[in-house]
Amino acid sequence: MGESIREFLDSFFYGSRNDLSFKFLKGMSEEEASEFLSLLLTKVGELYDGAPPDDLIDLAYQWQVDAYTPKPGAERKWVHEDGPFTPLSKPLAEMSVGLVTSSGHFTSEDPPGDGRATKSQEEIVKEIDDFLARTPELSEIPTSHPTEELNVRHPGYDTRSSALDPEVALPIRALERAASRGSIGSVSSPAYSFVGAASQLRLRADRDGWVDRWKEAGVEALFLVPV
Amino acid sequence: MCHVSVGHIARNAESKGIPTVAVMARSFGHVASEMKYARAVITRHPMGRPMGPPGDRATHDRVVDAALDLLASATSGTTIVELPEPYRPLNEATQRS
Repeated sequence: MGESIREFLDSFFYGSRNDLSFKFLKGMSEEEASEFLSLLLTKVGELYDGAPPDDLIDLAYQWQVDAYTPKPGAERKWVHEDGPFTPLSKPLAEMSVGLVTSSGHFTSEDPPGDGRATKSQEEIVKEIDDFLARTPELSEIPTSHPTEELNVRHPGYDTRSSALDPEVALPIRALERAASRGSIGSVSSPAYSFVGAASQLRLRADRDGWVDRWKEAGVEALFLVPV
Repeated sequence: MCHVSVGHIARNAESKGIPTVAVMARSFGHVASEMKYARAVITRHPMGRPMGPPGDRATHDRVVDAALDLLASATSGTTIVELPEPYRPLNEATQRS
Protein backbone atom coordinates (compact mmCIF):
# COMPACT_ATOMS: atom_id res chain seq x y z
CA MET A 1 0.00 0.00 0.00
CA GLY A 2 1.34 3.40 -0.97
CA GLU A 3 1.87 6.40 1.24
CA SER A 4 -1.23 8.46 1.99
CA ILE A 5 -1.30 12.24 1.69
CA ARG A 6 -1.64 12.42 5.45
CA GLU A 7 1.49 10.33 5.93
CA PHE A 8 3.31 12.46 3.37
CA LEU A 9 2.43 15.69 5.24
CA ASP A 10 3.28 14.22 8.63
CA SER A 11 6.69 13.08 7.38
CA PHE A 12 7.93 16.71 7.39
CA PHE A 13 7.53 16.83 11.18
CA TYR A 14 10.48 14.86 12.56
CA GLY A 15 9.78 12.11 10.05
CA SER A 16 11.39 10.70 6.93
CA ARG A 17 11.25 14.10 5.16
CA ASN A 18 11.98 16.16 8.24
CA ASP A 19 12.25 19.85 7.38
CA LEU A 20 12.07 22.24 10.33
CA SER A 21 11.04 25.15 8.09
CA PHE A 22 8.05 23.19 6.86
CA LYS A 23 7.21 20.96 9.81
CA PHE A 24 3.95 22.90 10.07
CA LEU A 25 2.63 20.76 7.22
CA LYS A 26 1.73 18.18 9.84
CA GLY A 27 -0.79 20.51 11.43
CA MET A 28 -2.58 21.28 8.16
CA SER A 29 -5.63 19.55 6.77
CA GLU A 30 -5.18 17.76 3.47
CA GLU A 31 -7.24 20.48 1.78
CA GLU A 32 -5.10 23.29 3.24
CA ALA A 33 -1.89 21.53 2.33
CA SER A 34 -3.14 20.89 -1.20
CA GLU A 35 -3.84 24.59 -1.66
CA PHE A 36 -0.46 25.55 -0.21
CA LEU A 37 1.51 23.13 -2.37
CA SER A 38 -0.46 24.12 -5.47
CA LEU A 39 0.24 27.82 -4.90
CA LEU A 40 3.87 27.03 -4.17
CA LEU A 41 4.30 25.18 -7.46
CA THR A 42 2.61 27.99 -9.35
CA LYS A 43 5.11 30.46 -7.94
CA VAL A 44 8.00 28.13 -8.78
CA GLY A 45 6.73 27.96 -12.34
CA GLU A 46 6.71 31.74 -12.55
CA LEU A 47 10.41 31.76 -11.69
CA TYR A 48 11.08 30.06 -15.04
CA ASP A 49 9.93 33.22 -16.80
CA GLY A 50 12.02 35.57 -14.74
CA ALA A 51 9.72 36.40 -11.85
CA PRO A 52 11.68 37.50 -8.77
CA PRO A 53 11.63 35.07 -5.82
CA ASP A 54 9.94 37.61 -3.55
CA ASP A 55 6.42 36.27 -4.12
CA LEU A 56 7.55 32.71 -3.42
CA ILE A 57 9.24 33.77 -0.17
CA ASP A 58 6.20 35.79 0.87
CA LEU A 59 3.89 32.87 0.15
CA ALA A 60 5.90 30.39 2.23
CA TYR A 61 6.31 32.98 4.99
CA GLN A 62 2.58 33.75 5.18
CA TRP A 63 1.57 30.11 5.31
CA GLN A 64 4.12 29.55 8.07
CA VAL A 65 2.67 32.47 10.03
CA ASP A 66 -0.90 31.24 9.54
CA ALA A 67 0.07 27.72 10.59
CA TYR A 68 1.60 28.83 13.89
CA THR A 69 -0.95 31.49 14.78
CA PRO A 70 -3.47 29.89 17.18
CA LYS A 71 -6.98 29.43 15.83
CA PRO A 72 -9.75 31.27 17.73
CA GLY A 73 -10.72 29.30 20.81
CA ALA A 74 -7.63 27.10 20.74
CA GLU A 75 -6.42 26.02 24.17
CA ARG A 76 -3.22 27.81 25.16
CA LYS A 77 -0.96 26.79 28.03
CA TRP A 78 1.37 29.67 28.81
CA VAL A 79 -0.95 32.67 29.06
CA HIS A 80 -0.54 35.39 31.69
CA GLU A 81 -2.97 38.12 32.67
CA ASP A 82 -0.19 40.63 33.27
CA GLY A 83 3.57 40.86 33.22
CA PRO A 84 6.39 42.49 35.17
CA PHE A 85 7.91 45.66 33.78
CA THR A 86 11.13 47.37 34.84
CA PRO A 87 11.78 50.88 33.49
CA LEU A 88 15.32 51.88 32.62
CA SER A 89 17.24 53.16 35.63
CA LYS A 90 19.48 55.41 33.54
CA PRO A 91 20.02 56.34 29.87
CA LEU A 92 20.51 53.34 27.61
CA ALA A 93 23.67 54.99 26.29
CA GLU A 94 25.19 54.39 29.72
CA MET A 95 24.05 50.78 30.14
CA SER A 96 25.76 47.45 29.68
CA VAL A 97 23.42 45.34 27.54
CA GLY A 98 23.50 41.56 27.71
CA LEU A 99 22.49 39.26 24.85
CA VAL A 100 20.61 36.01 25.39
CA THR A 101 19.36 33.86 22.52
CA SER A 102 17.72 30.46 22.28
CA SER A 103 19.61 29.75 19.06
CA GLY A 104 21.74 26.87 20.31
CA HIS A 105 25.13 28.41 19.38
CA PHE A 106 28.28 27.42 21.27
CA THR A 107 32.05 27.68 20.99
CA SER A 108 34.39 24.76 20.50
CA GLU A 109 36.30 25.94 23.58
CA ASP A 110 33.18 25.56 25.77
CA PRO A 111 31.19 22.68 24.29
CA PRO A 112 27.82 21.91 25.89
CA GLY A 113 27.56 18.65 27.78
CA ASP A 114 24.22 17.69 26.28
CA GLY A 115 25.68 15.91 23.28
CA ARG A 116 25.39 18.73 20.77
CA ALA A 117 29.14 19.18 20.43
CA THR A 118 29.74 15.68 19.10
CA LYS A 119 26.62 15.16 16.98
CA SER A 120 25.37 16.53 13.71
CA GLN A 121 22.31 18.74 13.40
CA GLU A 122 20.46 15.79 11.89
CA GLU A 123 21.32 13.60 14.88
CA ILE A 124 20.29 16.27 17.37
CA VAL A 125 16.92 16.72 15.66
CA LYS A 126 16.13 13.08 16.41
CA GLU A 127 16.54 13.84 20.13
CA ILE A 128 13.83 16.52 20.25
CA ASP A 129 11.70 14.65 22.80
CA ASP A 130 14.67 14.25 25.12
CA PHE A 131 15.58 17.93 24.83
CA LEU A 132 12.07 19.02 25.83
CA ALA A 133 12.54 17.39 29.25
CA ARG A 134 16.16 18.35 29.76
CA THR A 135 17.76 20.95 31.99
CA PRO A 136 18.67 23.81 29.64
CA GLU A 137 22.37 24.46 29.31
CA LEU A 138 23.64 28.01 28.98
CA SER A 139 26.61 28.46 26.65
CA GLU A 140 28.86 31.44 27.21
CA ILE A 141 30.09 33.12 24.03
CA PRO A 142 32.75 35.80 24.57
CA THR A 143 31.85 38.74 22.35
CA SER A 144 35.42 38.75 21.05
CA HIS A 145 35.02 35.20 19.71
CA PRO A 146 35.02 35.07 15.89
CA THR A 147 31.37 34.48 15.03
CA GLU A 148 32.32 32.54 11.89
CA GLU A 149 33.86 29.91 14.18
CA LEU A 150 30.71 29.33 16.23
CA ASN A 151 28.83 26.05 16.14
CA VAL A 152 25.06 25.67 16.21
CA ARG A 153 22.86 22.67 16.94
CA HIS A 154 19.18 22.88 17.76
CA PRO A 155 16.44 20.26 17.50
CA GLY A 156 13.60 22.73 16.96
CA TYR A 157 14.34 25.05 14.05
CA ASP A 158 16.04 25.18 10.66
CA THR A 159 19.60 26.18 11.60
CA ARG A 160 20.92 26.70 8.07
CA SER A 161 20.84 30.50 8.23
CA SER A 162 22.24 30.73 11.76
CA ALA A 163 25.06 28.38 10.76
CA LEU A 164 25.82 30.54 7.72
CA ASP A 165 25.68 33.78 9.72
CA PRO A 166 25.10 33.60 13.51
CA GLU A 167 23.99 37.24 13.45
CA VAL A 168 20.55 36.17 12.20
CA ALA A 169 19.84 34.97 15.75
CA LEU A 170 22.86 36.07 17.81
CA PRO A 171 23.42 39.74 16.95
CA ILE A 172 26.70 40.37 18.76
CA ARG A 173 28.25 42.44 15.98
CA ALA A 174 25.05 44.40 15.34
CA LEU A 175 24.89 45.30 19.04
CA GLU A 176 28.56 46.29 18.97
CA ARG A 177 27.82 48.60 16.05
CA ALA A 178 24.95 50.08 18.09
CA ALA A 179 27.42 50.65 20.93
CA SER A 180 29.86 52.35 18.57
CA ARG A 181 27.01 54.67 17.49
CA GLY A 182 26.38 55.50 21.13
CA SER A 183 22.96 53.87 21.34
CA ILE A 184 24.05 51.70 24.26
CA GLY A 185 26.96 51.95 26.66
CA SER A 186 28.46 48.55 25.87
CA VAL A 187 27.72 44.94 24.98
CA SER A 188 28.17 42.74 28.02
CA SER A 189 30.54 39.81 27.48
CA PRO A 190 29.92 36.94 27.33
CA ALA A 191 26.73 36.63 25.31
CA TYR A 192 24.61 33.58 26.10
CA SER A 193 22.90 30.94 24.00
CA PHE A 194 20.86 27.88 24.91
CA VAL A 195 18.43 25.44 23.32
CA GLY A 196 14.95 26.72 23.97
CA ALA A 197 13.47 23.25 23.62
CA ALA A 198 13.94 22.44 27.31
CA SER A 199 12.17 21.95 30.62
CA GLN A 200 9.65 24.77 30.85
CA LEU A 201 9.06 24.33 34.58
CA ARG A 202 12.76 24.70 35.24
CA LEU A 203 13.00 27.84 33.12
CA ARG A 204 9.87 29.36 34.60
CA ALA A 205 11.23 29.01 38.13
CA ASP A 206 14.76 30.04 37.07
CA ARG A 207 16.03 27.06 39.02
CA ASP A 208 19.50 27.48 37.59
CA GLY A 209 19.78 31.09 38.76
CA TRP A 210 20.43 32.57 35.33
CA VAL A 211 19.13 36.05 36.16
CA ASP A 212 21.38 36.38 39.20
CA ARG A 213 24.28 35.09 37.10
CA TRP A 214 23.68 37.82 34.53
CA LYS A 215 23.36 40.50 37.19
CA GLU A 216 26.66 39.39 38.70
CA ALA A 217 28.20 39.65 35.22
CA GLY A 218 27.19 43.31 35.13
CA VAL A 219 24.22 43.04 32.79
CA GLU A 220 21.94 46.09 33.24
CA ALA A 221 19.48 45.38 30.40
CA LEU A 222 18.79 42.31 28.30
CA PHE A 223 18.43 41.93 24.55
CA LEU A 224 16.55 38.65 24.04
CA VAL A 225 16.24 36.66 20.83
CA PRO A 226 13.84 33.71 20.93
CA VAL A 227 14.41 31.66 17.80
CA MET B 1 8.76 26.40 22.40
CA CYS B 2 11.78 28.74 22.28
CA HIS B 3 9.47 31.72 22.53
CA VAL B 4 7.85 30.35 25.67
CA SER B 5 11.29 29.57 27.12
CA VAL B 6 12.52 33.10 26.50
CA GLY B 7 9.19 34.42 27.77
CA HIS B 8 9.96 32.84 31.14
CA ILE B 9 13.40 34.44 31.07
CA ALA B 10 11.97 37.87 30.20
CA ARG B 11 9.48 37.67 33.05
CA ASN B 12 12.13 36.49 35.54
CA ALA B 13 14.55 39.23 34.50
CA GLU B 14 11.94 41.98 34.69
CA SER B 15 10.83 40.71 38.10
CA LYS B 16 14.40 41.03 39.34
CA GLY B 17 14.95 44.53 38.00
CA ILE B 18 16.52 43.91 34.59
CA PRO B 19 14.64 45.62 31.73
CA THR B 20 14.31 43.47 28.62
CA VAL B 21 13.48 43.72 24.95
CA ALA B 22 12.96 40.76 22.64
CA VAL B 23 13.11 40.31 18.86
CA MET B 24 11.04 37.52 17.39
CA ALA B 25 9.71 36.29 14.06
CA ARG B 26 6.06 36.95 13.22
CA SER B 27 5.07 33.27 13.36
CA PHE B 28 5.44 33.40 17.15
CA GLY B 29 4.43 37.00 17.78
CA HIS B 30 1.29 35.84 19.57
CA VAL B 31 3.49 34.41 22.35
CA ALA B 32 4.68 37.93 23.20
CA SER B 33 1.08 38.92 23.90
CA GLU B 34 0.17 35.71 25.70
CA MET B 35 3.19 35.72 28.02
CA LYS B 36 3.17 39.49 28.47
CA TYR B 37 6.70 40.09 27.34
CA ALA B 38 7.61 43.57 28.64
CA ARG B 39 8.80 44.78 25.22
CA ALA B 40 8.90 42.95 21.92
CA VAL B 41 9.79 43.73 18.31
CA ILE B 42 8.20 41.42 15.78
CA THR B 43 9.87 40.96 12.41
CA ARG B 44 8.27 39.68 9.21
CA HIS B 45 11.00 37.09 8.82
CA PRO B 46 10.78 33.31 8.53
CA MET B 47 11.23 31.16 11.61
CA GLY B 48 14.90 30.85 12.57
CA ARG B 49 15.93 34.24 11.16
CA PRO B 50 14.49 36.82 13.58
CA MET B 51 17.17 39.43 12.90
CA GLY B 52 17.05 39.14 9.11
CA PRO B 53 18.75 37.35 6.24
CA PRO B 54 22.31 36.01 6.51
CA GLY B 55 24.90 38.64 5.75
CA ASP B 56 22.41 41.51 5.72
CA ARG B 57 24.06 43.93 8.13
CA ALA B 58 21.77 46.80 7.21
CA THR B 59 18.67 44.82 8.20
CA HIS B 60 20.32 43.51 11.37
CA ASP B 61 21.19 47.09 12.33
CA ARG B 62 17.64 48.31 11.63
CA VAL B 63 16.17 45.58 13.82
CA VAL B 64 18.64 46.24 16.62
CA ASP B 65 17.93 49.97 16.46
CA ALA B 66 14.16 49.37 16.59
CA ALA B 67 14.56 47.10 19.60
CA LEU B 68 16.83 49.54 21.44
CA ASP B 69 14.44 52.40 20.67
CA LEU B 70 11.64 50.34 22.20
CA LEU B 71 13.78 49.43 25.20
CA ALA B 72 14.39 53.11 25.85
CA SER B 73 10.92 54.44 25.10
CA ALA B 74 8.39 51.93 26.47
CA THR B 75 6.60 53.23 29.54
CA SER B 76 4.47 50.19 30.33
CA GLY B 77 4.53 46.45 29.91
CA THR B 78 3.61 44.39 26.87
CA THR B 79 4.62 47.09 24.44
CA ILE B 80 4.85 45.35 21.09
CA VAL B 81 6.06 46.82 17.81
CA GLU B 82 5.87 45.07 14.45
CA LEU B 83 8.32 46.05 11.73
CA PRO B 84 6.77 46.18 8.25
CA GLU B 85 9.72 45.19 6.07
CA PRO B 86 9.36 41.82 4.30
CA TYR B 87 12.15 39.24 4.26
CA ARG B 88 14.43 39.81 1.29
CA PRO B 89 17.62 37.69 1.28
CA LEU B 90 20.69 39.14 -0.31
CA ASN B 91 21.56 37.75 -3.68
CA GLU B 92 25.12 37.32 -4.89
CA ALA B 93 25.12 40.59 -6.79
CA THR B 94 23.94 42.48 -3.73
CA GLN B 95 26.49 40.79 -1.50
CA ARG B 96 29.32 41.76 -3.84
CA SER B 97 28.23 45.37 -4.08
